[in-house]
Amino acid sequence: MSEAFVSLSNLTLSYGSTVAVPNLDLDIREGELIALLGPSGCGKTTTMRAIAGLLTPTTGNIVIDGRDVTRLAANKRGIGLVFQSYALFPHLSAFENVAFGLRLQKLEDHDIRARTDAGMATVGLSGFEARKPAEMSGGQQQRLALARSLVMQPKVLLLDEPLSNLDARLRLEMRTELQRVQKDTGVTMVFVTHDQSEALALADRIVLMKDGEIVQLGTPAQLYSEPATAFAADFMGFENIFRVEAGRLVSDIGSLPMGYSTESKMLAWRPGGVVVGDGPHKARVLASSFAGGHREYVLESQLGPIKADAPIESAEVALGDPVVFDLPQATARPLAP
Amino acid sequence: MSRLTIWVVLGLTLTFLIGPFIIIIFAGASAGESLAFPPHGLSLRWYLKVFTIESFRASFLLSLFLAIFGTISALLIGIPAAYALNRYKLPGDETIRMIVSAPIIVPGIIVGLALLRYLVVPLDFTVTLALFLAHTALVLPYAVRVVSSSLQNLRADMEEAAVLLGCTRLQAFTKIVLPNIRGGVLAAFILGFVTSFNQVPVSLFLSGPGVKTLPIDMLAYMEMTYDPSVAALSALLAFMSLAIVFTAERLLGFSRYV
Amino acid sequence: MFLSTKEGLALALPAAIFSFLLFLVPVGILLSEAFKSDVGWTISGYTEFFSKPLNRTVFFRTLKLGVLVAGTSAIIGYAAAFCIVNLPPKSRGRIFGLVILPLMISPVARTYAWIVILGRTGIVNDTIVGLGLSDTPIRLLFTETAVFLGLLQLFMPLMIISLVSAMENIPRDVIPAARVLGASWFQVFFRVILPLTKEGLVIGGTLVFTGALTAYITPAILGGSKVLMLETLLYQKVNVSNDFVSASVIAMILIVMSFSANLLLKRIATARV
Repeated sequence: MSEAFVSLSNLTLSYGSTVAVPNLDLDIREGELIALLGPSGCGKTTTMRAIAGLLTPTTGNIVIDGRDVTRLAANKRGIGLVFQSYALFPHLSAFENVAFGLRLQKLEDHDIRARTDAGMATVGLSGFEARKPAEMSGGQQQRLALARSLVMQPKVLLLDEPLSNLDARLRLEMRTELQRVQKDTGVTMVFVTHDQSEALALADRIVLMKDGEIVQLGTPAQLYSEPATAFAADFMGFENIFRVEAGRLVSDIGSLPMGYSTESKMLAWRPGGVVVGDGPHKARVLASSFAGGHREYVLESQLGPIKADAPIESAEVALGDPVVFDLPQATARPLAP
Repeated sequence: MSRLTIWVVLGLTLTFLIGPFIIIIFAGASAGESLAFPPHGLSLRWYLKVFTIESFRASFLLSLFLAIFGTISALLIGIPAAYALNRYKLPGDETIRMIVSAPIIVPGIIVGLALLRYLVVPLDFTVTLALFLAHTALVLPYAVRVVSSSLQNLRADMEEAAVLLGCTRLQAFTKIVLPNIRGGVLAAFILGFVTSFNQVPVSLFLSGPGVKTLPIDMLAYMEMTYDPSVAALSALLAFMSLAIVFTAERLLGFSRYV
Repeated sequence: MFLSTKEGLALALPAAIFSFLLFLVPVGILLSEAFKSDVGWTISGYTEFFSKPLNRTVFFRTLKLGVLVAGTSAIIGYAAAFCIVNLPPKSRGRIFGLVILPLMISPVARTYAWIVILGRTGIVNDTIVGLGLSDTPIRLLFTETAVFLGLLQLFMPLMIISLVSAMENIPRDVIPAARVLGASWFQVFFRVILPLTKEGLVIGGTLVFTGALTAYITPAILGGSKVLMLETLLYQKVNVSNDFVSASVIAMILIVMSFSANLLLKRIATARV
C-alpha cells in the first residue's frame, strides 16, 4: 500500500497458547502520531512489541517502509522504543546511555560525541552528561530515554505509556515535548496508552482496541463525539449508557419513559449532557463533589446511578436531597449495541 | 531466547548435575556382583545388605546424635546472637559477625587438625565430646545467618508495639519474635542438620577407632569394597538428605530463608 | 528502644566466645606453626616446602584446577542462569530447586557416582570400547580430568545460585532496550549483562574457587595419590609423615590463596566499568 508507512496485516500474536491478538490489520501513515488506546489486556502493548520485534507473530506480516520485517530480529529493525520503565542502563552515565546504540555501530568517536550532544540538547538535558540515571528525576530519566532512541534516527518511534508515570505538570510538559519533537523530526510515532485524555490530546489518529481487536479507528474528534459502540462510548467518557426498548430508557435496574423517539437501540450521555435541576425525572443526590469549574453529582434514579455535571453557577443540591433531571435528545449519542 | 535453546541448555546442565545420582541409584540396585551401569539385572539385595553392616549402624547413630544435638546447641547460642546483632547497635558487631562466620571460610581439614592438636589432645577430650563441640562450631555460622535473615524480615516495631501494650521484653520475645521466626529457625535446623551429617574433613581428624561418623565410615568401607553396596549406601544417604529437605520445603517453604 | 549495649553484648558474646575459643585460637596456633622452627620465627618452612618439585607440582595443579573449575562454572553458569531467569515463574522455581538439590547431598555420594561413570567398567569406557574407539578401557579415574569433573559438579550449583540472584536484579526491559538499540546477543552480554552482574560473578567465583581449593573428598576419591591436591597432600603430611610444619605451611598457603582470590576478584569487579 503506497500510503502506509507501517503496515500490519493478518497479524496474530500469542503468548504460548493464549492468543492475545487474533487477526489485526492496521496501516500507519508516515509522519503521523498514532495512539493505541484501550484497557489493560486489550493487546495494545503486545502489538507494539511485535512492531519492535520483541514478539514474533504467529501469522501475518509487518511491513515498515516497504520492507517486510516480520522475521527480522529486534536489533536490526531500525525502530526506537521508549519503555514505560525507561530501561536506562544503571551502570552507564547519561551520556553513555544516549551513545549506547551509536557505539554499537562503531561510528567515529567525534561523530558519536556530536550526535549525542545534539540529542541531549534536543531534550533539554545538556549538562547532565556525567550523571547516572539514579541521580536524575523521573521526568529527566524519561527525556534521557527519549534522547537515547531519537539519536538512532529511527524510522518509527514507539512509546509505551509515555505519560503514565508523571505528575500532572510534568505530563503537560512531556506532551508538549513529544509534539515538538514530532514536528521537528517528522518521525512516525506510535504510542500506547490506557488514558483516553492523553490519546485525545496527542494523537493524529486513535486506534481503540479491546480483546485484541480494533473497535474503532479515527481522529480524536471522531472518537470523542461519535463513539461507535457501547464500549467505545464508555471508554471515551460517556458514563451514562442505556438501552432503548419500547419507547423507554432501560437499564439492568429499571426504566424511565422517554419524551421522544429514536431509531437507535442505545443512547449515551456524557455527564455534562445531563441536565440537573430541570426535567421530568426524579432522583436523589447520592454523591456530590466540587471539581473546580463544575460540580459532579451521582444521582440515584430509577435507571440506577446517573453521573451528572452541573455548572458551578447553578444552585448546589445537598447530599440526600431530591432533585429533578433530564436526559435530553440534543445531547444524546446514539450507539450501535 | 527461544524455548528450545533454553530447554537444551538447562537439560544438559541438569543432566550433568543430577545424572550421576540416577546412575548411583541404579548401580546400587544391581543383581550382579560388581559395580556396573547399566546394572546386570535389578535387585534390592545390596540396599538391604547396607542395613546389616554393624559398624554402619553405630556410625549412623553417632552422626544422627551429632547432627541433632550439635544443631540444637548451635541454635541455643546462635539465636540470641542473631537477635543481638540484628536489633542492637553493638560496638564491634562486624568483628563478631566475622568471628562467628569464620568456620565457613577456613578449610575443613585445617579446622579438624587444629582442633585435634591444640584442643582435644592437650585437654584430653573424648572423641565424642570433641566431635560434638566441633559440629556445634561448624553449624553456628549457618544458624546465625539464617535466623538473621529471618529476623530482618520481621519488623522491629512489632516488638515495640507489644511492649507498649504491656509486655516485658522477654514476653515480647517469646510471644512475638519466636513465633514469627519459627520458619527461619526450622530452616536453620534443617540446614545445620544436613551440614553436620554430611561433614567430612573435620570429622576425619577427630574420629577415633570405634567412634566414627557415618561419612568417615563410608569412606573407609569404600576403600576396601568394590561391590554395589557402596553405591547403594551412597544412594540411601542421598535419599535421606533429600527426604529431609523435601519435607522441610513442604512444611514451610524453606527456600525463602536460605 | 533497645539501646542497652550491655544486653546486646551479653546475648551475642557467648556465640562469639565459643567460636573464638573453639575455632580461631586452635587454627591460629596451627597457622603460626608454619612460621616456627627450632630457632624461632622463620619462613624456612615455606622455602623448604617449595623447594621440593612434588610440592610445587601439587601447588600449581591445585591453582590450575581451581581456576579452570571457576572459569568453566562461570561460563556454564551464565548460560544456565540466563535460561532460568527467562523461564515462566512456575518452572523457574522447580528448575532452580533441581539445581540446588545436589548441594544437600553428601559429597561422598556425589563423588562416588563418578567412579561408576569413569571406572574401567564404567559407562564411558563401556561406550568407548563398545563403539570400537579403543581396544582396552582407558584410564579415566585418578586423572586431573576426573578431579576436574568431580569438582565442577560439586560447585557449579553455587555459581548458578549466585548468578541467578544477580540477574534477577537487572532492571526489567534493560535487555530488550539494548536489543532494540541494535545490540547482538554477544554485545548484550558483554555490555549489559556482565557489568550488571559483576557482584554475583565475584561471589560465585570466590565460592567456587575456594571450594575447589579446599575440597578433600573429591580429590581423595577421584585423584587418590596419583593426582594430589593441596588438601590431600595436607592429609598425607599429617597422617602419614607426621610432618606438621609442612601441614601448617599448606594450611597457610590455602588461606592466603582464598583471600587473594577474593580480593583479586573484587578488584577486577570494581575496576571494570
